[in-house]
Amino acid sequence: MQHLNQLYALSKRNIIVRYKHSLIGFFWGFFKPLLYLLIFIVIFSSQFSSISNQVLYITSGILFWFFFSNCTSQGAQSIVQSAGLIKSIYIPTIFFPLAEVIGELFNILLALMVYFIIMNWFGMIYSLTLFWVIPILFLFALFSFSITLILSALNVFYRDIGILWNTIQPALFYLTPIAYTESLIPQKFSFVIKANPIYYFIKLFRYPLYESKVPDFFLFGKCILITIVSCSVAIFLFNKMKNQFITAI
Amino acid sequence: MNKTLMAYQHVSVKYRHNHAGVYSIKDLLTSFSRPFQYKTILDNITFTLAKGESLGILGRNGSGKSTLLRTMASIVKPYKGQVVCNGSIAPILALGVGLEMELTGYENIDLLLALYNQPRDKKSVQSIIDFSGLDDITLKQAVKCYSSGMLARLSFSISFANNCDIYIIDEVLAVGDLGFQSQCIQKINDLKAEGKSIIFVSHFPDEVERICEKAILLEGGKIIYDGSAAEVCAQYRKLF
Repeated sequence: MQHLNQLYALSKRNIIVRYKHSLIGFFWGFFKPLLYLLIFIVIFSSQFSSISNQVLYITSGILFWFFFSNCTSQGAQSIVQSAGLIKSIYIPTIFFPLAEVIGELFNILLALMVYFIIMNWFGMIYSLTLFWVIPILFLFALFSFSITLILSALNVFYRDIGILWNTIQPALFYLTPIAYTESLIPQKFSFVIKANPIYYFIKLFRYPLYESKVPDFFLFGKCILITIVSCSVAIFLFNKMKNQFITAI
Repeated sequence: MNKTLMAYQHVSVKYRHNHAGVYSIKDLLTSFSRPFQYKTILDNITFTLAKGESLGILGRNGSGKSTLLRTMASIVKPYKGQVVCNGSIAPILALGVGLEMELTGYENIDLLLALYNQPRDKKSVQSIIDFSGLDDITLKQAVKCYSSGMLARLSFSISFANNCDIYIIDEVLAVGDLGFQSQCIQKINDLKAEGKSIIFVSHFPDEVERICEKAILLEGGKIIYDGSAAEVCAQYRKLF
């Protein structure tokens, strides 16, 4: 119970600090996806006219990509930046990356509400299947958390990790079918896309959001499996490293 | 009444030490020796602290004082030996600990009380504000605008708000002005009168003698002198 208080306080701090002294506050959270959406529409609309309802297709992927991207890049720094706290109060270190993910979850929930309203114009159908987004988001948040956990722990020892991650993120972004469809990738390169775990989650999100269908259970199972594996690996690695944090931050 | 509150039995702490200063992959690849070596920070520390007793810790810079405090707060785990503690320990009082620079004074009070698991009602917040002596306008400012003395006032006031058996105080008196120093000493004496234990780190032997009954002198991670505060302080003065 007392730990929950600490976690809540840290998450709240993350949310407040992020938009402190900014004019439009959390609205930045969906300006970034919006900007990317405009870029894709302007540049790629003639290329990718094969996609029906392009706006909805792109948004349903891009929102969650930015959730993942924000979680991991900010979370990677979370332990290093909280050195002062870690050195003076006993708080389980796992809370620092976790609080980043929770703060980001709060942001995406706000963004989702706004997008649900806007996307109605662009042909999103309101139905009960939309509620499937909640368990999928929960699963995706756990997956993002596991990646954040590994990055934040490694970043304590090698500060290159944070920089490296920010460098490879754009590549990962274009390797995920967000602005284009899978069919655009030549058959012989499709393994590149399939090796990317985010691909499966984005695909899963599109069932309720884009196609207004109940998610494919086989795909759902795959995502659960990915999450379980990544979480176990992350927690194992984190526990191995956490006792040495104090000497390196 | 004379119950043991804290006992250290042969506690040793080793830090993994980056031999070649490996903080990046480039350094790692260019370092020929094994990248990780262990350095002993605390070596075979043994002492006991009874309830209501106060302990001073003296030593040169880098002799392991802060690490010793961190083992008390269970932030650092000993590699050998055992730390037995039969009471609650307040978080370490040290400069600027845990303050979030972008947040205001009020927000920091709220955040830190939550992290310390302390009640956040109006009364406890008001007592912190009173103790800190900072005014409303200052507390509404972001903490990054504070002077170092103001930072010390805020962080110490928040830490003192904890209701615990043992208070760990690391160099409180170095920054505050005279008024705040005497306020802190008054507070420490009040806590002692309530039967609380104080663990006090300082570079001023006079203060240690005033506050503590017992003291230890650390040198290179070992206790080289253990005894009454007056004796240990005399030894400490001889070091320099």
